Amino acid sequence: MVPGTARRRLDRAQRVPAAEAAPSAITAAIDAAPRLVVIAEPAYLVALVPDAPGGRLTPADRQLFGAARALADAGGGAVLALVERPGEEFGPAGADRVLALPVSGYDPEAKALALNAALAALDLRHVLFPESADGGDLARRLAALSGAPFFAAAESLSPKAVTRAAHGRRVEQRRAPPRLISLAPDAVAPHAGSRHEALPVAFAFPEPTGGGILSAEFIPADPAKVPLAEADFVVSAGNGVTDLATFRALVAALNATPGASRMLCDAGLMPRSAQVGASGTVLDARGYFALGIAGAPQHLQGVARCEHVIAVNTDLHAAMIERAGLAVVADAQLVMPALLRLLQDEARQPERQP
Amino acid sequence: MRIAVLLSAGRHPVSGRPAPVPVELQALGLALGLSDEVTGLHAGPDIGPLRDALGHGLPRLIHLASEAEDDPVPGLAAALASGGFDLVLAGRAGQGGEDSGLLPYALARALGLPIVADAVALAPGAAPGTLIVEQALARGARRRLVIRLPAVVTVHPAAPAPAPFAFAAARRGIVDVQAGPSAAEPARPASEERPYRPRPKLIARAGAGASAAERLKAATESASGGGRLLVAPSPEEAAGEILQHLRALGLLPGR
Ligand SMILES: Cc1cc2nc3c(=O)[nH]c(=O)nc-3n(C[C@H](O)[C@H](O)[C@H](O)COP(=O)(O)OP(=O)(O)OC[C@H]3O[C@@H](n4cnc5c(N)ncnc54)[C@H](O)[C@@H]3O)c2cc1C
Ligand SMILES: Nc1ncnc2c1ncn2[C@@H]1O[C@H](COP(=O)(O)O)[C@@H](O)[C@H]1O
Repeated sequence: MVPGTARRRLDRAQRVPAAEAAPSAITAAIDAAPRLVVIAEPAYLVALVPDAPGGRLTPADRQLFGAARALADAGGGAVLALVERPGEEFGPAGADRVLALPVSGYDPEAKALALNAALAALDLRHVLFPESADGGDLARRLAALSGAPFFAAAESLSPKAVTRAAHGRRVEQRRAPPRLISLAPDAVAPHAGSRHEALPVAFAFPEPTGGGILSAEFIPADPAKVPLAEADFVVSAGNGVTDLATFRALVAALNATPGASRMLCDAGLMPRSAQVGASGTVLDARGYFALGIAGAPQHLQGVARCEHVIAVNTDLHAAMIERAGLAVVADAQLVMPALLRLLQDEARQPERQP
Repeated sequence: MRIAVLLSAGRHPVSGRPAPVPVELQALGLALGLSDEVTGLHAGPDIGPLRDALGHGLPRLIHLASEAEDDPVPGLAAALASGGFDLVLAGRAGQGGEDSGLLPYALARALGLPIVADAVALAPGAAPGTLIVEQALARGARRRLVIRLPAVVTVHPAAPAPAPFAFAAARRGIVDVQAGPSAAEPARPASEERPYRPRPKLIARAGAGASAAERLKAATESASGGGRLLVAPSPEEAAGEILQHLRALGLLPGR
């Protein structure tokens, strides 16, 4: 409603200053530097076990921190991160304490035994896992080892209740949060607003014993074959790319999955399965490299979940340039061969360090 | 190699009618690719649509008859321990029951066997008594493990499809009904059940009452941004910057 007018009328433009006072107060709070929160005497501990491949937190790991903070902050508890490799990321993500697990290589059984020892000795109120390939496996191992109640793939979580789908997604089960919980992706928002101290904790783990796994070898995905929705790094061409042969060579040289805007797919220059966007594929990739793409809303919806975007466009005012973490205003037809040349030069002298 | 495939009573995701669980039929396909000595095992009151597994090439199905409320773990563990199996295959999670995927882990614990999750391919290992398991990871990556047998392995939905249903094979297969031990399910804290309601995923979060333009912005923007802008660099300069940026993000094999 527009205030101060004789007749009450609906304001569709929503440009009234009085109505804007409240949102600006919220943005001011977010803009302030995150304050450090110290929990010296926690009432209880909420532990979480992030996947953190190579020591980097995944989006699912950050959501796990959000869930753990919700459970800990409800009663003056502290969040304990149980990780393979301590790093600097855990404090800002929301960990009050960090405990390094004595595991090397792929040995989930040894990791579960170490977690079981910590679960018993540190009196952890809850232990949270991401419902990912490795996190879900670990959660079930610990559940079978410890016999503690386990809630699989929670789709919502609060200090009062967790819910999950069961019976072929026909029934929703709801109960108070039990000791072990695995969290479905995109169920809880990541923690934001405060930093935590991430104090290292010492704990005497029992000696690990040999498991049933004799050897493990990681096989990276073949980017040319993975479906676009599963790809990790997508290089995409739009109407600004006319030299598609160089584009294909560049995709192969960057070891990425090819994508395209709808303009190229409609023109039959790229297969429909390569279309990124609202009416194509919504990506789940970490990296997106857009060449000659304007960034129409329908296209940007397809890259909304990409963490890192790089754009090359001749138009400084293209929406894709605004969205990108590294934006280059240049002709794609000149940048692509330059990239290829640089990659070939590097391949020819493999020993040189930059 | 003697292989047991655990088959559970599933429900079709759309119609809700009793149906075999697809991932367990995929487990059956992997088992038949390794050996002819494959046995199906089901613990429950009714075998119903699990007869379909015979049509997909299963020669013999053991039905451990028990009440619906009984815990299947002790019965299955006893049957597996006395059967002398080298490999036990199960689905990643059931479909139509509790669907928590916990049963294979509880069974491995009861039998004292190692367990490996999410297999998409199986092959006999170079040394006798070993098995090569290819595990599905996120984003199409794989991990190849060599494990010692006997072991429990769960199968991922990305595994190849089983052989198509054949009526003659379904007629040939035998179902062997045995009485399972009746063991009451361990007391679990009751959870309240209600009809499922899909929850919105956390992708776009604009404040309540935001305008259409703000909601569109929330749907198309991500948390990152505020990036670097290079205006009209030389192609070589641009290429160098892009490669350096990709390396810093860990998207290219570093040097
Ligand atoms: C219902 C509906 C659904 C849609 N769904 C999708 C969808 O799923 N996916 C999708 O992509 N689109 C979709 N679209 C189409 C979308 O609106 C845009 O038309 C399309 O994304 C534009 O593609 P583009 O950016 O490649 O082309 P253009 O809009 O033509 O943009 C080309 C860009 O390239 C730049 N450029 C030109 N020359 C060069 C050069 N030499 N070097 C570098 N840059 C250069 C230009 O500055 C411009 O920014 C949909 C549209 C509708 C109506
Ligand atoms: N009653 C049962 N009889 C035989 N196998 C079962 C039974 N219940 C579960 N399983 C197996 O365990 C897997 C996981 O089941 P669940 O823990 O119920 O999700 C299933 O895919 C089956 O292979």
